[in-house]
Amino acid sequence: MEIIMSILAGMLFTAGVYMILQKQILKIIIGTALLSHGAHLFIITMGKLNRGKPPILSEGVTNYVDPLPQALILTSIVISFGVTSFLLVLAYRTYQTNGTDNMEKLRGNENE
Amino acid sequence: MLHAAVLLPFLAAFFIPLIYRGVKQVHLGWFVLLVPILLFGYFLTFIKGVMQGVHTLKTFEWIPSLGVNVTFYIDGLGLFFALLITGIGSLVVLYSIYYLSKAEKLGHFYVYLLLFMGAMLGVVLSDNLFVLYTFWELTSISSFLLIGYWYQREKSTSGALKSMMITVFGGLAMLGGFLLMADITGTASIRGIIENGEMIVNSPLFPFILILVLLGAFTKSAQFPFHTWLPDAMEAPTPVSAFLHSATMVKAGIYLVARLSLVFAGTDLFFLIVSGFGLLTLCWGSYMAVTQTDLKAILAYSTISQLGMIMAMLGFGTELAILAAVFHILNHATFKGSLFMVAGIIDHETGTRDIRKLGGLFTFMPITALLAFFGTFSMAGFPLPFLNGFLSKEMFFDSSLHFEDASTIVEAVSPFFPYFAVGGSIFTFVYSIMLFFRTFTGKQRGTLSKQPHEAPIGMLLSPMILVLLVVIIAFIPDAFGHALLSPMVDAVNGSVGETHIKFWHGFGPALYMSLSVLILGTALYLAREKWQHIYKAFPGKLSAAKAYDGLINGLLRGSRKLTNGYMTGSLRHYMIYIFVFFIALVGITMSVTGGFQINYNDLAPIAVPEVMIAIVMAGAAFATVFMKNRIAAILVLGIVGYGLSLLFVFFRAPDLALTQLIVETVTVALFLLCFYHLPNFDKKKESKRTNAVNWVISISVGVLVTMVGIASHSTKLFEPISDYFLKNSYKLGGGDNVVNVILVDFRGLDTMLEILVLGLAALGIYTMIKLRPGKKEGND
Amino acid sequence: MSNLAILPILLPLLTGIILVFLNKRLPLVRLITRIMVLVNLAVVSIIAFNVIQNGTIVLKAGDWTVPYGIVLVADPLAMLLVVTANLISVACAFYAFKSLDEHRERYYFYPLFQLLIAGVSGAFLTGDLFNLFVFFEVLLIASYGLIVLGGTKEQFRESFKYIIINLFSSMLFVTTVSFLYAVVGTVNMAQLAERVGEVQQDGVLTTIAILLLIVFATKGALFPLYFWLPKSYTVPPTVISALFGALLTKVGVYSILRVFSLIFVYNLSVTHQILLILAGFTLVFGVIGALSTNNVQLIIAYNIIPAVGYMILGIGVFSATALAGTVYYLLHDMIIKAALFFLVGAMVAYSGTSDLRKMGGIIKNQPLLGWLFFIAALALAGLPPFSGFIGKLLILRGAFEEGHYVLGVIGLVTSLLILLSVIRIFINGFWGEPKSEYVSNGNPVQGKILPAAFLLVFTVLLGLGAEFVYPTVQTIADQMIDPINYIDSVMKE
Repeated sequence: MEIIMSILAGMLFTAGVYMILQKQILKIIIGTALLSHGAHLFIITMGKLNRGKPPILSEGVTNYVDPLPQALILTSIVISFGVTSFLLVLAYRTYQTNGTDNMEKLRGNENE
Repeated sequence: MLHAAVLLPFLAAFFIPLIYRGVKQVHLGWFVLLVPILLFGYFLTFIKGVMQGVHTLKTFEWIPSLGVNVTFYIDGLGLFFALLITGIGSLVVLYSIYYLSKAEKLGHFYVYLLLFMGAMLGVVLSDNLFVLYTFWELTSISSFLLIGYWYQREKSTSGALKSMMITVFGGLAMLGGFLLMADITGTASIRGIIENGEMIVNSPLFPFILILVLLGAFTKSAQFPFHTWLPDAMEAPTPVSAFLHSATMVKAGIYLVARLSLVFAGTDLFFLIVSGFGLLTLCWGSYMAVTQTDLKAILAYSTISQLGMIMAMLGFGTELAILAAVFHILNHATFKGSLFMVAGIIDHETGTRDIRKLGGLFTFMPITALLAFFGTFSMAGFPLPFLNGFLSKEMFFDSSLHFEDASTIVEAVSPFFPYFAVGGSIFTFVYSIMLFFRTFTGKQRGTLSKQPHEAPIGMLLSPMILVLLVVIIAFIPDAFGHALLSPMVDAVNGSVGETHIKFWHGFGPALYMSLSVLILGTALYLAREKWQHIYKAFPGKLSAAKAYDGLINGLLRGSRKLTNGYMTGSLRHYMIYIFVFFIALVGITMSVTGGFQINYNDLAPIAVPEVMIAIVMAGAAFATVFMKNRIAAILVLGIVGYGLSLLFVFFRAPDLALTQLIVETVTVALFLLCFYHLPNFDKKKESKRTNAVNWVISISVGVLVTMVGIASHSTKLFEPISDYFLKNSYKLGGGDNVVNVILVDFRGLDTMLEILVLGLAALGIYTMIKLRPGKKEGND
Repeated sequence: MSNLAILPILLPLLTGIILVFLNKRLPLVRLITRIMVLVNLAVVSIIAFNVIQNGTIVLKAGDWTVPYGIVLVADPLAMLLVVTANLISVACAFYAFKSLDEHRERYYFYPLFQLLIAGVSGAFLTGDLFNLFVFFEVLLIASYGLIVLGGTKEQFRESFKYIIINLFSSMLFVTTVSFLYAVVGTVNMAQLAERVGEVQQDGVLTTIAILLLIVFATKGALFPLYFWLPKSYTVPPTVISALFGALLTKVGVYSILRVFSLIFVYNLSVTHQILLILAGFTLVFGVIGALSTNNVQLIIAYNIIPAVGYMILGIGVFSATALAGTVYYLLHDMIIKAALFFLVGAMVAYSGTSDLRKMGGIIKNQPLLGWLFFIAALALAGLPPFSGFIGKLLILRGAFEEGHYVLGVIGLVTSLLILLSVIRIFINGFWGEPKSEYVSNGNPVQGKILPAAFLLVFTVLLGLGAEFVYPTVQTIADQMIDPINYIDSVMKE
């Protein structure tokens, strides 16, 4: 299962990287979102999948899944969320001030 | 006391601006003059001790833990240079008082000059390599400032830059050599290194070290092909040219070679490089000097050539040659110093230094002319008993003929040396004579901006003293020989031999060489119109200067081209660089270290629902790539996110699932909100090639990350620390939900900071929306 | 006692949060900022002194047993860097209200600035790899806020690139941390070091190390990952450029230093060889970049890159001498970069252009500015007796001692070219005849010079007074060579 999940995460990375290589701001941001999904999937995969109960302590259960990766993902999800929202507003303002959402037109060599 | 002496110029440099502001009536130079005179007197007191072989050593601990201490060491060599620096320094300052009017920025001038004086003393007295280097660069910096003294002039600033680039280049090479020497011998003390000279010479790195150190010496002492900065340095005020660019700073390279002779000399490589470049410089400098028209340019090339001659003698390395070298250092300082001052006087009193305009000045300026006579004829090595230049020139010829216990290479090469010596000397003779006759005899050729007249006595005083020295040295060379030169030869060569200097060497080859110089030189001078055109055929017209300009311009243009070539400003390009780098580095590392491995044992069983979700997610992820419509793309992205939260449910992570669900919903909403403002997707398709590149890169990245992920999971080398959390969550954290306990307790700091990140993001978003340039705040 | 270790983070953090709420009263905000940066500097100096005298302070956040909770490790290295960061912070605080327009000040410059400092200090202090990621995010998002502050179109354009590149590296960072957790089962740096040492960095660990290197190299502007730097560091106002130039890349370099001296030191022929190669290219390409432009701010921004090259060279050489050089250079570089950004900022403010071809003769009316710049230029090029020399000397000595002659020579040549790149500013900008019509609004330059002068005092002190600092740096380097020192001081708590 871990191998399948690793491959899935890798595919998310692939799609994310492909989107980041596009020109339009929007596609690039979608790419970053895909990347962060991939990253989170990797983290959970790196614990032991499926072999144990959810890490909520209850009587008589001794076998739990690894709780630490889950905690790390939670932190990471929240941070990604913050950055993504910032990025979206930035995209909007970049488009508004520069008049284009095409990064190839935003090279900015004029002040060289 | 010794440290105080070296520190004195720096201290004075610090107080000079204050005096300059306070005292307006008296020329600032009078205050400055005290410094070199005091120091000169102080260093004189060492002569007696040094003659008896008593060396003074004083240490001040600068960075003892690094082995860098300011150790000053006075032996024959150091003392001679210290006297030269302070002695000529006194005369130059005296001269400058009359040369520079009070309208100039005297404060700056004297500060730089004092900085230089202190730095130069530091160079010749330091026993520590790195301290020597420090002072060495300080002389380059003060020289830079002095050349750029008239900073509005384009020529001054470009000359300053050139001198700095070339001498600092050499300095850095020298630093490299020093580092290697210190590494090999384990000490940074010059005395220590000389003691362990064998270790350096026998090291396989020796050629490398020698070349690096010599680069330092050659750039500073303007040896071919690095000489090109010196003519341009003539933009500095003339007292500076007399002091730095003739008598002292340019001799720092000579000093360095002399100082390290005990280590390097005796090796063939040292002999070949130093003699070879020395002779080449001698010939090239004098050859070029003949074609110059500016008095100072002639003197500059002349200095180059004379430095080459001294360098060559140090390269010969015989006792006779070294005596001749040190003797010539002294002589050169006297006659060249006086000539620079004369050039300054002519410039000052006639308004030009162009010998095409000058002529017949003898009638207007007889004293100056007389001084120039002694200077030029001594420089030419004219066989007159009252010219010290003749004595040392004769010794130079003599030394070019005698090589004791020479190796085969030396034997093979040395027979050619006398020809170079004579060749260079002929041209020296020509330009010296030309300098004198074209300036002072004949008719005035151009209109001068000033009516020429004799200079004030104060201005004449310094060159007079120097010319007096020319004569005195010629008459009683042995007095100087015993007091100054023998201890110096001792320091350079490690042995005191006979240092008897005589005027008459008898009829020998050296005399014939002198005579042929005299005859051929006179003939060439008289027939100069006839052969001048060889400068057109074989101009080398500023060839080294062209090389320098080409190098600097090429460097700037090349860097612009290269940098603009890859710094395109395109995010896509940057990301491609990053991904390609990632692929290359990770790929290589993994294959080199055998990092990839799969372990099928310790895996969770494959469950159908999860696989189904995975397939849907993968499909959705790739669908975003192909979506033509932005709303569809967002919704498909949402599917990936919701799929992830479903996976979290299956993977026993209820908190995660919940959070992911909420975050995903809000994110999708935000996306939609944002899309409302942004244009729809471009309908235009990318070229096939672009798409192919994108796919290759993204698939490679994905595959590599997957491989590292699988490999990591397959090599669980240690038990994770999370057992502790499971065991202690309730006991210590007071909660059943271990993930929550970790978040708020065990790793509470993370959580606190994650909230901070959200806050910061909110703050950033707020300012982005509210603050707009050109608008009054907050009316949006 | 051990709680002291959180103060360098907590003080700017609280200051920042308080300033958010006081935002309406600008004079008060300025006053508090100025007081707090000084207080903070005093506090961290005392802590640093304490640490150097009595040894590392380890703070277990929430008092959880190591390695289960997060630890903050105030060792001499971290504290020296924190003190230096706070020097920059003081200078920036005073430069800010002399140079920023009121809008920017009002729109949360000061809180963002203080939170950035908190993030930087945290990154230096933390002893937990995941926590390092979180601190990275704190300082990055604060930097995002600062880089767009003012909202000009160049700022938006460049910050978008900056953020996307950083986002990729952040995602790579968490992913890599999880890989590392899978293999070694911990995220505590001391325990990581211990466990990686036990297996002598086997198998996939070296690859993971390289992933981390890529992450930090992106933040630290190593070749070939520095594309985002020059432009994005020059579009925001000077004080922000100075903050970024002095602190952000240095956090990346620090992380490389920490990780590749503490954790991954068992396969030097791969990891450190790669570092050496990258260092060489970083030196060359960085300085070529600095020679490629006539924009004075860009010249300084590009000069960040070869400096990183020197430091990475020291890490790659990996001897006590070279590491001491890297640490020394790190301190030097933080100070000199801030000072140089201040000075060119003043030049640009004075002459109304950042194009060197349009400047000239500034020294005539602004001699102090000119001479400070001259000193800063010499210090940047690593000429003695300023701070840059000591670090460079040590790094190169290390390189030569360990037989890396080619890199040593590259280092020497680079420092000549660095000199050329900045002395061009001096010659064309300060010397020559005045060229442009200067925008003169009162006397805008004076207040901008003082913070630079303040920093340059330390440059001179670090050079001439090297003996005061160097022994500490040497001790740090000696301990760094053997990870056991750090591991013991953390794990024994």
